[in-house]
Amino acid sequence: MALLEVKNLDVRFAVRGGDLKAIRGISFSLDKGERLGLVGESGAGKSVAAFSILNLIARPGYIAGGEILFEGRNLAAMSERELRKIRGDRIAMIFQDPMMTLNPVLTVGTQMVEALKAHRRISTANARKIALERLKQVQIPSPEKRLDQYPHELSGGMRQRVIIAIALLLDPEIIIADEPTTALDVTIQAEIMALLLELCEQHNVALMLITHDLGVVSQVSQRMLVMYAGRVIEQGPTKEIINDAQHPYTQGLINALPQMGEPGRRLFQIPGSMPSLNRIPTGCPFNPRCQFANDHCREVMPEYVRSGNVDVACHEVAALIEKEKQLQEEQP
Amino acid sequence: MTAPAPLVEIRNLEKRFDLSGNFLEQLRFRNGKLTRHQEYVHAINGVNLQVQKGEALCVVGESGCGKSTVARTVMGLLSPSGGEVHYGGKRIDDMSGKAVLPYRRKMQMIFQNPYASLNPRMTIQQTLEEPIRFHHPDWTKADIKNQVQDVMQSVGIDPDWGVRYAHEFSGGQRQRISIARALAVDPEFIVADEPISALDVSIQAQVLNLMMDAQEARGLTYLFITHDLAVVEHFGTRVAVMYLGTVCELADTATLFDSPRHPYTQALLSAIPRLEDHRPNHIRLHGEVSTPVNLPSGCVFHGRCPYANDRCRQEIPALIATDSGSQVACHAVEEGRL
Repeated sequence: MALLEVKNLDVRFAVRGGDLKAIRGISFSLDKGERLGLVGESGAGKSVAAFSILNLIARPGYIAGGEILFEGRNLAAMSERELRKIRGDRIAMIFQDPMMTLNPVLTVGTQMVEALKAHRRISTANARKIALERLKQVQIPSPEKRLDQYPHELSGGMRQRVIIAIALLLDPEIIIADEPTTALDVTIQAEIMALLLELCEQHNVALMLITHDLGVVSQVSQRMLVMYAGRVIEQGPTKEIINDAQHPYTQGLINALPQMGEPGRRLFQIPGSMPSLNRIPTGCPFNPRCQFANDHCREVMPEYVRSGNVDVACHEVAALIEKEKQLQEEQP
Repeated sequence: MTAPAPLVEIRNLEKRFDLSGNFLEQLRFRNGKLTRHQEYVHAINGVNLQVQKGEALCVVGESGCGKSTVARTVMGLLSPSGGEVHYGGKRIDDMSGKAVLPYRRKMQMIFQNPYASLNPRMTIQQTLEEPIRFHHPDWTKADIKNQVQDVMQSVGIDPDWGVRYAHEFSGGQRQRISIARALAVDPEFIVADEPISALDVSIQAQVLNLMMDAQEARGLTYLFITHDLAVVEHFGTRVAVMYLGTVCELADTATLFDSPRHPYTQALLSAIPRLEDHRPNHIRLHGEVSTPVNLPSGCVFHGRCPYANDRCRQEIPALIATDSGSQVACHAVEEGRL
């Protein structure tokens, strides 16, 4: 059984004039120690998906349907009290902006001890010992000093290291990292990503990495999901998707990267932009930007088809697979 | 060897920002004595750059390295603390506001955040008309209108949308409008400060293509500021890598990406997450970027450099030409240790 299993998750935002459907029936699973990448552009719903796993969606948002099974228990139906036992303890979260995540008026040590004491019966002295241990693991220079420092005294990279240390404090099963390195410089980003990867392997923690950076996903994750307008449009092993993307949107995303183009030539570009939630087109949500779109795409939402080990939601891919099958039947 | 005269030349540029406040705030009482205490951010320390006509010179570096300050100083939005800025052979940084006007028409800027750089209370038509009216006071209303329509079409914005306000457009469209505003007065030279960093991947490609098309159609020269090396590799003719207010390597794009010489450039290049990588395999730099308030002695990079020795800690390296055609400011390269 998978450690985390999300089935048909539906998240909506209640606004005047009806609900906005931010997530429309996404399903995926995460095994113990597995690293899963969640990719998409802004507005695709990737952060909402991550937040809804711990039911951290603030009103007017709500989970309208589906199940989030963590070790067989449905997080979507749990009471706030039960959820608090899981948040930070069994499933930890790392957010994008380290300055917003840390409390500016408490020292790093106080915040770490606080997290430990909220979940374990432990003396302050012991809690500080564990906190120091974790700070050493994230390779912060002079960790003893950092315990008594305030977040504003640390650089961006160090703050994110502290956040990772806090996420690891209670030996969680899963870490959900929402764009953990987006606010950082390239060289610092590379260091933090390598550290996160190392620690997850060392402690056998499952990692769910939300990012818009395909390069990071291909370096870190074993499987990936590509989201577009609240739907997962492609999911499967990362290498297979990066090397041979099936969905026209994923192909476009990869080909639009400057590293894929020849220097000085025009880049491949996907026309248009992601639809806003109140104007999602009928049928396949990508159809207005898709070069292969036909009337069928404009009317019917595509079902998932399997191509290799990858699940793709695209009529064109489905048609191609069908054609191949026929060809094989004709030539025994 | 005589290279053609550069369109824009920056000589020994320096820029300091005063942190110490007014005179009273500078006074400190120490050991029974009243002393005056002054502190500066040394944003640029002696940068020399030449932008040739028709090229795209990219300036890369991490946050705080002074790349945006270079852009703003070239544009005259900041006045340099030392050094000179030349445009077409004329020194422009000490010109009076009136004398510099014809140069301002030839130099335009595109900013990073299209949500902040467009006036929310002006329609797009007004936004695009303003620079034209300012620089061509003799033009008739019809001339201005035609020019606005042309420029909107050239960036792929429907001219009928001129009556709309900036908030009615998506991020990519807003950046197109910013580009249109820069192009409206037919400039020769465009400074683009992180023009695509705030945009999504698929939109970044659209905007980059637009900028390359405009370069081809109008013969533009770019000074392109970015932190994204993948974009530089695609877009740049030459690259200047900056670290803590100094240029540490300057080379043709292909040369820089094939054989980076400066240890910082090497680390920076290895840190780009590439699609074909299976694990992060970057050169690990230790320590943090030091602050531009207290600049380190000697080479600014020595605190994080794996090859630093005593000379690096004391003597500031100068940009020297190497056999591969790039210019590198590094003692280790000069001595052949690297």
